Amino acid sequence: MQHIAERYTGASVRRSEDPRILTGSGRYVDDVRLPGMLHAAFVRSPVAHARITRIDVRAAAEAPGVTLVLTGEELERSLVPGPGIAAMFSGGAPVPAFTTLASDKVRVVGDPVVLVVAESRYLAEDACELVEVDYEELPAVMTSQAAQDPASPAIFEDLASNVLVRSPVAVFGDVDGAFARADRIVRADLRQHRHQNAPMECRGVVCSFDPESGELTVHSATQGVHIVRTTLSTALGLPPEKVRVLAGDIGGSFGLKLGAYREDVACAAASRRLGRPVRWMEDRLENLTFSGQAREESFEVEAAVTNEGEILGLRVKMTIDTGAYPGMGAMLPELVKTMIPGPYKIGALSFEWTAVVTNKAAYVAYRGPWASETWVRERMIDLIAMELGMEPLEVRLRNVATRETPPLRMVTGRSLAGVTARESLEAVAAKVDLPAFRRLQAGARGHGRYLGLGVATYIEPAPGPLEGRGGGGIMGPEQVRLRLEEDGTVTLFTSQMPHGQSHQTTFAQVAADEFGVPIEQVRVVVGDSDLVPMGFGTGGSRAAIMAGGASLHGARALKARVEEIASHLFEAGAEDVELSGGSVAVRGVPASAMSLAELARAARSPGRLPPSLAGDVEVTAAFDGGEGGWSGGSHAAVVEVDVETGQVRVERYVVAEDCGTLINPAIVEGQVRGGIAQGIGAVLLERSAYDEETGQYLSSTFMDYVLATACEIPRIEIEHLETVPLDADVNFRGVGEGGMIIAPPTLCNAIEDALSPFGVRVFEQHLPPARILELIGAIPAG
Amino acid sequence: MTSFDVELTVNGLARRATVEARRTLADFLREDLGLTGTHLGCEHGVCGACTVLVDGEPARSCLMLAVQARGADVRTVEGLAAGGKMNRLQEAMWDSHGFQCGFCTPGFLMQITALLADIPEPSEAEIREALSGNICRCTGYESIVNGVLRAAGATGFLE
Ligand code: FES
Ligand code: FES
Repeated sequence: MQHIAERYTGASVRRSEDPRILTGSGRYVDDVRLPGMLHAAFVRSPVAHARITRIDVRAAAEAPGVTLVLTGEELERSLVPGPGIAAMFSGGAPVPAFTTLASDKVRVVGDPVVLVVAESRYLAEDACELVEVDYEELPAVMTSQAAQDPASPAIFEDLASNVLVRSPVAVFGDVDGAFARADRIVRADLRQHRHQNAPMECRGVVCSFDPESGELTVHSATQGVHIVRTTLSTALGLPPEKVRVLAGDIGGSFGLKLGAYREDVACAAASRRLGRPVRWMEDRLENLTFSGQAREESFEVEAAVTNEGEILGLRVKMTIDTGAYPGMGAMLPELVKTMIPGPYKIGALSFEWTAVVTNKAAYVAYRGPWASETWVRERMIDLIAMELGMEPLEVRLRNVATRETPPLRMVTGRSLAGVTARESLEAVAAKVDLPAFRRLQAGARGHGRYLGLGVATYIEPAPGPLEGRGGGGIMGPEQVRLRLEEDGTVTLFTSQMPHGQSHQTTFAQVAADEFGVPIEQVRVVVGDSDLVPMGFGTGGSRAAIMAGGASLHGARALKARVEEIASHLFEAGAEDVELSGGSVAVRGVPASAMSLAELARAARSPGRLPPSLAGDVEVTAAFDGGEGGWSGGSHAAVVEVDVETGQVRVERYVVAEDCGTLINPAIVEGQVRGGIAQGIGAVLLERSAYDEETGQYLSSTFMDYVLATACEIPRIEIEHLETVPLDADVNFRGVGEGGMIIAPPTLCNAIEDALSPFGVRVFEQHLPPARILELIGAIPAG
Repeated sequence: MTSFDVELTVNGLARRATVEARRTLADFLREDLGLTGTHLGCEHGVCGACTVLVDGEPARSCLMLAVQARGADVRTVEGLAAGGKMNRLQEAMWDSHGFQCGFCTPGFLMQITALLADIPEPSEAEIREALSGNICRCTGYESIVNGVLRAAGATGFLE
């Protein structure tokens, strides 16, 4: 056992990704160059909803440099019909039929209609201009209200209406009793606007079909190579072993780059047809308009409360706008339902939901996809406090679960074992010094300055308690493979596909500690479906605990294997052999030491070991998350609202978080800050806006979909709470999504607090300056 | 399409090529010279990922045409490290865990290079102002700001 101070786990080790990223030698999909590579561009729908009456591609097909022009109808003949990736995230909702390129109808602005492949991207785009498509426009269905109107034109003919799902009412606990006992009922209609992932790197793919071998090699910007392989092999009717998916560096994703998209399928089919590599890089217009959007949900909420601030029960009706094509929207409400009580002792819940189809971009996963449960609950708590004239923190502390044995459960059933919500609330309150802030706030108001404090808390299943986690299959245990190489280094193969999360550093930290070698001797291999074990990839907060745990157990198994081999080579008992400092030796006989490189070579030399040990020194290990548990924390923000301009400045932002045992504090803090920055942006700046009459998309550049810069995001003060260990070895928990889950309610609460002298109540999540001015009555509501 | 001969210096090396009038400087660097370290995040001049130095000044290579760089001295991210050794700014960013996915990184590094040439010891406010035209979707900026402060030799900014 090494001394604790010598461990990599827990230290802010410098990232092994950085030498390539900082020198311009990273390899992103846009950097892939293959001999004979062609370039794809898409003709896309300029309208939201229309029947296609005519497509004429003759001029485009004859344009300079053009090698292939494909319409939807023609493309479809080379594909196996089926729902593709859509079915995987449908949550059991009906999956409508549609073609890879729109052929009979277009359903959203940006819908791909024709694929053009040419010798350069410039020539492909030139030829796109020559494609003629006639549209017979249909009324665009642009709101969930419109979608629920039986008279609205069906976006998909095979769905009975634009209502995708209307759930039954789920009841947990004695809801009627709770509302009968309540002193008051607090009601609110709350709505989240449409966000989007907007990674700095757009989507992209290079497909290369080899007619000789019948193999398709795909370079993809993706969160998981195996899902891309599965979706492409299914769509193209290729055996999975004939498809190899490679991924290099990925320029962010936040949930967007999951599986093969329609454009990827079209490019793969084009490459198969042409026998040449075909590359497509999405541009930002395509990305913002079409690739995916998230979070547009609305809620009707009633809370049964006592005059002392106890929350007895909630009644919730949720509506989700899933956009035109199936993404992840329909699977989220059930998660929201289970999670909405959060770390609180809310004793009763009724929940029902409706999912609708509209003529907007598909609803995709975005960093904590179910996050509306936190926003709604934490918003309601502040509204309740306001109603009762109580300090919002008081209401939280009165209702938050305490740690007990046996652990408390959410009314929806999940165990709250190990949750430190109370501790984190107390920590942020202490850090901002609540009474002092209230005095400061009162004084400032006297001078016409409006300061506000917002606090909010969340928990995230990262991966959540074992019981109730369910899941085998692709969301099941995470596997890693470790191999001792002939130079004595260790290679760790993982299906995780980092896109900023630094897994090549963190898994190496964990494995190096457990195996007992310097971190430089552990190489983490990702992004090759021929090499990495089967697995979902990066997402769902799996990496830290599932893959981190598998790395730990894998390194332990490799160590045992090495010691077993050494005991054969030394003809000593296994217990007499020891691996340390990069070599194996018979305990107490330093002269017997053999380097790991020698051992690996010996194992591969024929005849030196029994067949069960001979060959590659390689092990596979899996980890299912063990007892698992919650990640979580509380955040507090201090804002100042300028009531002349409507500008909100975040003056201070404080975090107390618990993501279990830290593998690399600097990396954890980077994830926390990055998530908060997205959350601040979502509230103050970002919105995917549509013209509700015409269905035109209004946020198609970074001038319209505005992302936060270094001038809007403050320094973030982070305190790490000591976690409650639930597992003997593995207590890492996911931390990527939390910041984005909890920053929006924290900020909304702070803004409402700042504007309380105006009697403002915040029922929405998007609060740009113009909206602030409307809320305080400085300008008329538009 | 009319083509032009372009001669320029890139990272200290004289380069010559014939390019179409509409070829952007970014595509010229990435496609014709194989310098893929410069990234394209928006191609409409907002994100700053494509920032390179043209005669010492930061320029958006997605908005500039290759022909406009005739005779210029262009520096890209590939020109920062010398002899396989990262420069002071790169080392400082490594120590500060400056970046995550790395896609915005070339633009930030070039923008910061120009800033530090102008103001060798910038304040945090000056840094944030100078970086306000570069978007990073991953980090929340604090680690990048810390990296600049560290590169400029500042101490005491780390908690
Ligand atoms: S790519 Fe040039 S500014 Fe975004
Ligand atoms: S590190 Fe990913 S965009 Fe900046």
